[in-house]
Amino acid sequence: MTDAFAARPVGPGPLDVDAVHELLSTTFDLVVGTPRVVRRTRLDTFDGRLARAGCRLQHVTETSDERLELAGPAETLVVGVGPDRPRWPVMAERLPAGPLRDEVSRLAGIRALVVRDEGRRLVRRAELRNGDRKIVARVVFDEPSDGGSAEMPVLVLRPLRGYEKETERAWRLVTTLLESVPDDPAPDAADDVAGRHVDPASPAVDLLSDELLDFLTAIRDNVPGAVDDVDTEFLHDVRVAIRRTRSVLKLGRSVLPDGWRATWEPQFKWLGDLTTPVRDLDVYQLELPEMAGWLVAGTDADLELFAQHLDQRRTAARRVLLRGLRGARMRQLLDEWEDSVRATRAAGGRGLPAVALAREQLLRAHRRVVKGGAAIGPGSPAEDLHVLRKRSKELRYALEAFAPVLDEGDVAKAVGDLKGLQDVLGRFQDSEVQRNTLRVFAEEMVADGAGASTLLAMGELVAHLDREQQQARTEFDAAFARYVRPAGERRMRRLYSGGEARR
Amino acid sequence: MKVFATYNIKGGVGKTSTAVNLAYLAAASGRRTLIWDLDPQGAATFLFRVKPRVKGGGRALVSGRRPVDEAIKATDFVRLDLLPADFSYRNMDLELDDAKKRTRRLDQLLSGVADDYDIVFLDCPPSASLVSENVLRAADVLLVPLIPATLSLRTYDQLTRFVADSPKPRPEVVAFFSMADRRKRLHRDVIDAIPRDRGRVADTVVPSLALIEQMAEQRAPVPAFAPGSRAARCYEQLWAEVAP
Repeated sequence: MTDAFAARPVGPGPLDVDAVHELLSTTFDLVVGTPRVVRRTRLDTFDGRLARAGCRLQHVTETSDERLELAGPAETLVVGVGPDRPRWPVMAERLPAGPLRDEVSRLAGIRALVVRDEGRRLVRRAELRNGDRKIVARVVFDEPSDGGSAEMPVLVLRPLRGYEKETERAWRLVTTLLESVPDDPAPDAADDVAGRHVDPASPAVDLLSDELLDFLTAIRDNVPGAVDDVDTEFLHDVRVAIRRTRSVLKLGRSVLPDGWRATWEPQFKWLGDLTTPVRDLDVYQLELPEMAGWLVAGTDADLELFAQHLDQRRTAARRVLLRGLRGARMRQLLDEWEDSVRATRAAGGRGLPAVALAREQLLRAHRRVVKGGAAIGPGSPAEDLHVLRKRSKELRYALEAFAPVLDEGDVAKAVGDLKGLQDVLGRFQDSEVQRNTLRVFAEEMVADGAGASTLLAMGELVAHLDREQQQARTEFDAAFARYVRPAGERRMRRLYSGGEARR
Repeated sequence: MKVFATYNIKGGVGKTSTAVNLAYLAAASGRRTLIWDLDPQGAATFLFRVKPRVKGGGRALVSGRRPVDEAIKATDFVRLDLLPADFSYRNMDLELDDAKKRTRRLDQLLSGVADDYDIVFLDCPPSASLVSENVLRAADVLLVPLIPATLSLRTYDQLTRFVADSPKPRPEVVAFFSMADRRKRLHRDVIDAIPRDRGRVADTVVPSLALIEQMAEQRAPVPAFAPGSRAARCYEQLWAEVAP
């Protein structure tokens, strides 16, 4: 049975509590409480992870009671909030301990909980009791507190376990006066742009301009969270949008306006570089618990100084980042970029169709991956694998950028094929970069007077990364062979040369 | 999931009052709590205003024909559910005797709701029977209310031997004095004389109070209808001593 039933007045107007009361009193013993003003603050991660999981988290404040309610598909979890109430945004770990925190932590992951909307409601609670005066269902009359809110008044009927029949009886009575409220769609579902389709014959410049505007929106949406350091994903998402912008600029050089290459590619490179140091340090901090698990001789405590060092470095790196993100160059860059892209889009595209550019770019990118991979042998230097990683990324970006004009199924599978290879190449390069950076950190920490146990522990981390890189290197041949297997090759051929994209 | 059982071979010592009040406090502290009224008299079931009836009776539950989670009823209190008593529980020894792994059957049944609850209270009938053996197997903590009287000490002695003779794993035994009247010299003497080497004895002493007797009239736990009262505070102290 569902967790709650909701009904609203048929047509505009208030909820007639007296009429509902009278109706339910024919079957149940019903006592309606006094009206109370309740403030509800809906919380979710910035990317709506709770809503996507069908959950709604609310911070509910009323006289003498303050609580968090997590309404999920199966049940509602509640936890009281004490005097040390969280100040939003916070990470889920900061919520009061209990099943609600465990569930929210699982859903939110590394993202902070931010306020999505707030409102005041006038709430009256009632209990439906049977002949033994046992509560068999609960009723909430929930109306806007100012009478003028856009949110409709609503009656919520909550069943109690083991008394479903009584609730069904009550619901039948209620729906003779009110109409059922359809289930809420996940509020952020519309944000999901997966599966967007564009006419393959439309001009490539239009497709790319629209994508560039989407990336710009993502940058603008995420910069405030990155500046406030709400969670590490804001900066990560800024960087993803920058990377995609740079990739589209490169893929579209032949169709985008003359001069963009010289003007905008360096600008977005500057912006990407600005964000790199803090992101790198974020990755170390996020991976620190996992790194502690690598230690064989050392203990978690041996990494405490390393954690402090990362903190100090990050604080310093964030100062530089904030100067950049809040500075005039950033504002000017985004404003002028927006004007430029909008002007290009408004001019109406002509020239090369999107699907033609897609095929041309995919062919080029795919050939570079195959050629680069085939040239790698047992004696190839690490640099060759790094170059191949870059080429694989370019192909991945091309697949994603042109996905709206290509066959959806083929693109998804091609990305899947590529992921296996990218994973191995990523581990190979990341292990090397991290190993080298750890050496730099260790030298800095020696200068700061770090003790032997810290350095020995860091030595263990370096050794682990070295093994990890060797492991990735041994896996490369098999990963590349999987990527160039005939089925994958046929799929890529269909994408860059074969027939109409299936719609 | 942590399982508490309020248990004593002797009747009328405050087992049900303890189970009902502590279960209420556990739920109020945010834990998802279930109380299983194993006593065919159904006192806990009555206190929560639930009908003392399980479809198919104890036989259906023990045999597995009726899943435990289908028999559970919500109480009037958030996060606190009840598995009601049924008069057929008087034959539960016989039903258990017919079951496979007859001393572990209650434990098996509870494992079916382990994901739904953080705390379970078993309100046990007064006896030393196959039901009791099942309770010893299923419970992590045996809460033993004792009236401070000489015979209680004898019963406590029997009970601790019964637990010591039961197969492992055995529950932790936590005794506490209930229905105590410190004005009576005998009560004071017994409280001082209880052997503390056979199990833990809680510091909390639950006195004999009219408010606790009023639970039957109010049909609710003491902290629900008389929050802040001396009786409510006693149960809060006891819960603080034994809560996981």
